[in-house]
Amino acid sequence: MSKVVVRSLRARVGLVAALAALLVLTAGAGVFAQQTVVIGTLGPLTGDYASYGVSVANGVELAVNEANASGQYNYVFRVQKEDTRGDSVQAVNAINKLIELDRVTAIVGAVLSGETMTAGPIAQDEGVPFITPSATAPAVSEIGDYEFRNVITDDKQSAQMIDYVVNTLGLQRIAVLYTNNDYGVALRQGVEAGVRAAGAQLVAVESFLDGDSDFTAQLTNIAAANPEALYIAGYYTEAAQIARQAQRIGLNVRIMGADGFDSPLLVELGGDAVEGALFTSGFDSETDDPAARAFIEAYEAAYGVKPDMFAANAYDSARIIIQAINQVGPNRAAVRDAIAATTDFPGVTGPTTFLENGDADKPLLIFEVQNGRFVRVR
Amino acid sequence: MPVLDLVNEALREWINPYYYGIFLVMGINMILAMSLNLVTGFTGQLHLGHAGFMAIGAYTAGILATKGGAAFLPAVLAGGVAAAFFGFVVGLPTLRLRGDYLAIATLGFGEIVRIAILNLDITGGAFGLRGIPRLTNLPIVIIAVLLTYVILHSLIRSRVGRAFIAIREDEVAASAMGIETTRMKVTAFVLAAFFAGVAGGLYAFWFRFISPGSFGFLLSIEILSMVVLGGLGNLLGSVLGAGFITYLPELLRTSVPAVAQHRMVFYGALLVLAMIVRPNGLLGTSSEQGWLEMWLARRKAKHAARGPARLEAAAPGQDGADGRSGE
Repeated sequence: MSKVVVRSLRARVGLVAALAALLVLTAGAGVFAQQTVVIGTLGPLTGDYASYGVSVANGVELAVNEANASGQYNYVFRVQKEDTRGDSVQAVNAINKLIELDRVTAIVGAVLSGETMTAGPIAQDEGVPFITPSATAPAVSEIGDYEFRNVITDDKQSAQMIDYVVNTLGLQRIAVLYTNNDYGVALRQGVEAGVRAAGAQLVAVESFLDGDSDFTAQLTNIAAANPEALYIAGYYTEAAQIARQAQRIGLNVRIMGADGFDSPLLVELGGDAVEGALFTSGFDSETDDPAARAFIEAYEAAYGVKPDMFAANAYDSARIIIQAINQVGPNRAAVRDAIAATTDFPGVTGPTTFLENGDADKPLLIFEVQNGRFVRVR
Repeated sequence: MPVLDLVNEALREWINPYYYGIFLVMGINMILAMSLNLVTGFTGQLHLGHAGFMAIGAYTAGILATKGGAAFLPAVLAGGVAAAFFGFVVGLPTLRLRGDYLAIATLGFGEIVRIAILNLDITGGAFGLRGIPRLTNLPIVIIAVLLTYVILHSLIRSRVGRAFIAIREDEVAASAMGIETTRMKVTAFVLAAFFAGVAGGLYAFWFRFISPGSFGFLLSIEILSMVVLGGLGNLLGSVLGAGFITYLPELLRTSVPAVAQHRMVFYGALLVLAMIVRPNGLLGTSSEQGWLEMWLARRKAKHAARGPARLEAAAPGQDGADGRSGE
């Protein structure tokens, strides 16, 4: 009987001691624990455009993991990823979830222009700052003051390309073949503006639809106008086919394009027909810049593939957000102001400054296909 | 309207905006599914271009609001009327076709609408139409769903509705009975187009941005699967089917990563499974009762046997039976 009492007494003492220890521990942890801040990202992680969305999500995740590991920040960051399948309706659900259920402080996304146009206004209404690393449609900057864009817009890309071929290469007669979607039309508008600015001649404008595979009719019309350079406003799959068909009908002109060309598949599909083709892009994966090299190596180590422009822009965007939160705390409005004030942020895609309309001002690179490799020419 | 705003404020307080948005899209899909059911389920005409009517309604409402400064209600109704007009123009020649041929013709119509929107200037072309104010809210959508249900429900029980069903059951016999089959088919088509146009208007005023890509062939198929899953020729089935097909992808999307990553596989498999287990849809068709109705009927019978007839007034069972046609 007494044995039992003693034992239970001892147990009780032990319990009290354990509780006290726990209390001290949690109190200590309470003093030193860092507040967790959630950064959201949304984009197509599955479906036809998954390659873009996965790159973006990886870029954000890498930036956040590095920030947490560095121990330099006042907060612990957590990434919440949402999949949109590239669908405008699902993007609205995804951003509502990020804002209302996950209570994110800021967002990297959306990835495609269409989904950004439906999801973006919600973040604007709710006062959640977001940086899209890849939505290039010009209208995106009209969403409002909580919208930022860390990628060069379509129309600027094509205008700068035209400036380069006219003023550096001395070509005058320009033709454009565009895909009739938001990407192709915006690039075409940039070509038109660039031709006007450079005082060159736009000799032919032709279009095609997504999924077309025979371009001979358009190319025959273009050949009749006798151009010196052909701007293909579309993606690498179409560009490669167009280049091959142009070669077949004897239209041997300089081919140009935008970041839609930036895939190893361009050379794989186009072969010697795309040799000498020029395109603009925001990220050079062969760069010598030490910070960018470190990023490329860390990304390859984590995900087993080389980062593309989407990953690089997303990585920079997430780092801009992390820096802003670290400066002003996890207050959405204050973070917005801090992002807007970003000047010459040392990104892996070059020094980045946000303009008044939320668009990033940063260097645009031009690449040329030389012996099947992308060589930076500007 | 002020009353609606008050109700909306209360709802917004009460429902998390994430779910609020999902419920709203569910409502829009319910209108689309019910209207398609009128053509496909009740009149028996396979129609694969319903998204085209929705697009016409959405763009009409959107253009009137952004470029003409129209108010919400007139813009949405104009969207419905515009869609109904196109329903008439398209229906008159195509509804003389039957079965597979009609399916191909309506499929072509949906694609023509999308391509036309892509190439017009007034629609914003490939960039889409933006800057539409957000005026749709949940109470408005709930009212629209109820109105659609009540109107279609009473239509089906009217002489015209019986004529629709007669055409579905046997077009030659219906014609022999003195039903002007083409006229009746066009009537069903025009009505369905009107409601799809209204749904499109509500969609435009909710998402604020519409682009040709939002109204592709796949959307038509999705609406059709709502109708088939719910039960062809069962109005309440369409409501259930739309709710199910709207929420299922979102439920799978937010589930554990392993499921979320392959959710379209699960989604497809679940639909296939549902069709194998319940080939007549959740609520069944006119020719056979669905499991929900059979279950409710069994419950009702059990309770009736016990004595208290409290469940006799159970609305779902009653409504389900009424929603079905031709009994």
